[in-house]
Amino acid sequence: MGLKVLQSGLFTTIQDEGRKGVAHLGHCNSGALDLYAYKWCQNLLVNTQANALEVMVGLKLEVTKPTIIAITGADLGLEINGDYKEPWQSYTIKAGDILHFSKRITGQRAYLAVKGGFDVPHYLGSFSTTIKEGFGDKLKRGDILPYQETTGTPHARVKQEYIPNYDAPLTLHVMLGYQHNLFSENEKEKFFNSAYETTLQSDRMGYRLSGEEILAKSENLISEGIAFGAIQIPQDGQPIILLNERQTIGGYSKMGTVIAEDCYALAQRGPGCKVRFAPYTIG
Amino acid sequence: MELKQVSLNASMLYFENSISEEVLNRVLNAFHTMRNIEGIIDITPSYTSLLVEYDTSLLTHTKLKERIKKGLQETSSNITTRQKHIKIPTDYSKGEDIESVAKYHNLSIEEIIDLHSSTTYRVYAIGFMVGFAYLGRLSPKLFTPRLSTPRAKVPKGAVAIADHQTAIYPQQSAGGWNIIGHTDFDDSSSFSIGDSVEFVRI
Repeated sequence: MGLKVLQSGLFTTIQDEGRKGVAHLGHCNSGALDLYAYKWCQNLLVNTQANALEVMVGLKLEVTKPTIIAITGADLGLEINGDYKEPWQSYTIKAGDILHFSKRITGQRAYLAVKGGFDVPHYLGSFSTTIKEGFGDKLKRGDILPYQETTGTPHARVKQEYIPNYDAPLTLHVMLGYQHNLFSENEKEKFFNSAYETTLQSDRMGYRLSGEEILAKSENLISEGIAFGAIQIPQDGQPIILLNERQTIGGYSKMGTVIAEDCYALAQRGPGCKVRFAPYTIG
Repeated sequence: MELKQVSLNASMLYFENSISEEVLNRVLNAFHTMRNIEGIIDITPSYTSLLVEYDTSLLTHTKLKERIKKGLQETSSNITTRQKHIKIPTDYSKGEDIESVAKYHNLSIEEIIDLHSSTTYRVYAIGFMVGFAYLGRLSPKLFTPRLSTPRAKVPKGAVAIADHQTAIYPQQSAGGWNIIGHTDFDDSSSFSIGDSVEFVRI
């Protein structure tokens, strides 16, 4: 036994750093959307090659044997036996404890890891749940997440200076340079000088924004590989930032690529958040 | 050939901007060359390009450019020896759209089947979903536009055509291609770019 799911919450999956080396077969990377928070979660437990739950609000778990957990990312009002616990720390838990992500305080996705990781199946070298590819499923009531019993690891917390503020205005830094000539100077200026808003149509595949329409010069491009963070501009002119479960190839025009760190921050924004774009320059 | 930087850890290698078997062979050759370069994590080949993602502690855009150039010089004579040949047993008798395709081209159903099963195709790209191989090129006599309204459910194993390509749906999904047959072939995940594919009428 391990953690028993009492309430599945909005959407909880097992993730790691994603699937590598299989893009040519049509597999997406999958993996933790906020890799920054995910890595801190594993660092707090000194885990290697582990995994974590990517939690949205509402998840409730019962502990059946002792271990150490770490929580990073969104503050989803985690309560252990009714007492609020701040994220970006590790906590000791014991049999009978109830963990409840009770309400959204800041951010969208929290990461919960256990010392040594959950003993769950991996697919093509990764623990990452990827429902559309038949790899795992979202957690359901009654699921059991097994792990090895541990006691006695010291408490650890992430220094305040490394903890992001998910309520701060977000600027997405864009590497231009491989398809931006498909957009006129005028369209590029509009793109970088407008405020966009995150929409409800945002998930592990990508974030659809709404704001000023951007027109591309060409619509019939030869399909090509799509990078993490690619800014796709479909015919309706509304940018989509493509994330972990994007299709591997596609033929829409792309303005550029949002740098990875900013994609991690974007994945912590809920609908209705203002974002802006700024060019990224190397060095 | 041109290598463009896409993000801090990804670059795109472009060949010329038109689809042909000759370009496909160059993409395939580059794919095999890149698989031997240390630091490359993922490669996504497609019709005329390859997206390369790499570990920035081992590779940079500039280093990658040098390695690819060097690798391609060493292997330039060694094209397309690693492709598989895959036969797809195909039942054309219940293709939902085969009649409308025949009508569209003013051909008989027999002629459609002959044209489709007498060509050896190559895998030009894999995408849309895992194991969905874009196979080209159809006989120009079979070029058919996509359905104006896509189907909500195309069954697994549907053999379909659209524009200059044909494909097998590896899973049930929505789709706008014209279904002309069905197959029990169940190993779509083994398709790799450059493989040759033949449809065998059953």
